[in-house]
Amino acid sequence: MFSLAVAHLAHRKLRTALSILAVSIGIMMLVVMLALSHGMLNEVADRIQSVDAELIVLPENENVIFTAGAAFSGKYAPVIDAFEYGGRRVVKQTIGVMLDTLHMGGQQQRLFGVDRADMSAFLGRREVVRGRLFDEGRAFGDRLDGLRNENGYYDPALVGEAELLAACELVIDERLARVGDYEVGDEVIFLGRPFEIVGVVESGVAGRVFCPIQVLQYVKNGGVPWVSLFFVKLHPPPLAGGDQDRLRVGPSEASAGGGASQVSYEEAIADALSERIKAKVELKGAYRDLMYESFSQVYVYINVASGMALIVCFIIILLSMYTMVLERTREIGILKSLGAGRAYLIGLSVVEATLVCVCGTTLGLGLAIGAKLGLEAAKPLLTVSIEPAFVLIALGIGIIGGVLSALYPGYRAARLDPVAALSME
Amino acid sequence: MANSDGIILRAERIRHTYRSDGIETPVLHGVDLAVRRAEFVTIMGPSGCGKTTLLNVLGLMMRPTGGAVEIDGSRVDGLGDGEQTMLRRGKLGFVFQRFNLLPVLSAERNVALALELRGKSDRHDAERNRSAGQRVAEALDRVGLSDKRRHKPGALSVGEQQRVAIARAIVGRPRLLLADEPTGNLDSRNAAIVLDLLADLNRSDGLTVVMITHNEHLADRADRVLTMIDGRFEQQ
Ligand SMILES: Nc1ncnc2c1ncn2[C@@H]1O[C@H](COP(=O)(O)OP(=O)(O)OP(=O)(O)O)[C@@H](O)[C@H]1O
Ligand SMILES: [Mg+2]
Repeated sequence: MFSLAVAHLAHRKLRTALSILAVSIGIMMLVVMLALSHGMLNEVADRIQSVDAELIVLPENENVIFTAGAAFSGKYAPVIDAFEYGGRRVVKQTIGVMLDTLHMGGQQQRLFGVDRADMSAFLGRREVVRGRLFDEGRAFGDRLDGLRNENGYYDPALVGEAELLAACELVIDERLARVGDYEVGDEVIFLGRPFEIVGVVESGVAGRVFCPIQVLQYVKNGGVPWVSLFFVKLHPPPLAGGDQDRLRVGPSEASAGGGASQVSYEEAIADALSERIKAKVELKGAYRDLMYESFSQVYVYINVASGMALIVCFIIILLSMYTMVLERTREIGILKSLGAGRAYLIGLSVVEATLVCVCGTTLGLGLAIGAKLGLEAAKPLLTVSIEPAFVLIALGIGIIGGVLSALYPGYRAARLDPVAALSME
Repeated sequence: MANSDGIILRAERIRHTYRSDGIETPVLHGVDLAVRRAEFVTIMGPSGCGKTTLLNVLGLMMRPTGGAVEIDGSRVDGLGDGEQTMLRRGKLGFVFQRFNLLPVLSAERNVALALELRGKSDRHDAERNRSAGQRVAEALDRVGLSDKRRHKPGALSVGEQQRVAIARAIVGRPRLLLADEPTGNLDSRNAAIVLDLLADLNRSDGLTVVMITHNEHLADRADRVLTMIDGRFEQQ
């Protein structure tokens, strides 16, 4: 059966090649779409993991992908700072971030407005490879702090344009520097002002572009100390056994459920803090899930588009198998006269289609890898990650699609009347 | 019973009417036939009298409108499609006027395919022990085409193609060979070769042969010549 299937495919080389191509294009589309979207999400999520903090505070009911602008007023930071859990203060550092977007390196980049004092939490052990960080000595930050009243507000009129321009500095990561061919000292126009690139840091930091949060707050919000989100660094949990146990049980301490309802120290604090400030507080590690969640809408489109492509390519397989049945009517008659039964004829069709689909899927994966390399060359900031799971999904869909689209033509072949088939010209 | 009287193929009162597009074409009008084991029977008759129709009925390729067929002692009219397929696989071999080789396969693989399709329905224990490759080689040797076993049908002469078709029909050691004008497309020299082959298979291997032909000279080589006129055999 196998060798006959191969012989058939070899006999109709062009059609076989076109069918394989059709499948491979469908599979390539699916894999590339998955690889692009997952690559992008994972890359962003990975970078967020690099921040030296345990929790993220986000505005309630907002899509994390589009989080930007001023979501939290200046009142939040002191409340978070002073937050107590289990009778002690648990927050070591509250890091406010103002998010914005700017165009650099050929695409929109997320800009992280960060206080100079908080940069160490973003850098971790990564180094400044060229130049320096923005707002050296936190001069601009300290100058503004000197102007603030007890609520954190200051009169923007007291800050001169020259002072502001001096603080318009950017720090970018190496990948963006390489792709956009940026050097320390280059200028980027943003918000109608020239921003100078003052430093380049190792890649892998949370943002590709950083600037002083005070500049963003001044230009966009008239100086009010609002932020888009907070990273919260916690003190390590108390080591005493008793305390530890008590904390591990978390808020639902009273329930007799025992081990089943255990939540970690960080989770327990996240829940309590969320309750306190009425905002979404998530473990940093949960950010990936949040991104996938907010991206799910887009995934629907991606899946529908890839699904359509696959359906079209399986219709092509079905048609191709069906024309083979028509064209081989006589041959099917011969096979029947030789004693081929239903199972054999359906099996033959399935084996042929499966061979086409396996070849098509393999080629499609090859094309996807080619597309990945091409995309990454053309748009170096895109991360296209073809995960092993996608290869399995592609193979699964390829094989199942092949079998399904061969069943009907095979069934038609099996039903042919052998005498009529043999008398065909 | 049926085995003991030496009858391998029996047909009783076979009637057949084609129905297509609402038009009825009555073709067979009660054909009776009994073929003994190792007999060589030829069927002659004018074109359109129903010879091919009868052979297709006997070969379980189609169900007649009426009548009964018995092959090697088993009544077939009550059997389902699957069982008829098994019987066809196990006991029958076909040779057609138009050779009907698969163009995409070599001579050797055309023959091997018949064996492959026959698969498990093979009852001969002695046969089973020999490898499929050996049996294919023997069948091709038997028709004198060992040297052309790798040729595809398109690269063989018509006479050679028909000999490959015969090798394919006999490779599974059928009890009964049904041949529908096997020499109809051949010149007289090739026709003679093919007929010699069939006669030899009949004589030395004891293969039962039922052959349709329009050629009286060939027909005369048979044990018995039946003449069909208007869907019935002429009384002998
Ligand atoms: N599928 C069919 N539908 C309708 N009529 C058919 C069909 N097949 C054959 N016939 C008719 O049945 C009659 C017998 O046909 P058959 O092929 O059995 O004749 P034959 O004796 O083999 O003729 P020949 O010697 O030309 O091969 C013919 O009149 C033919 O037109
Ligand atoms: Mg005929």
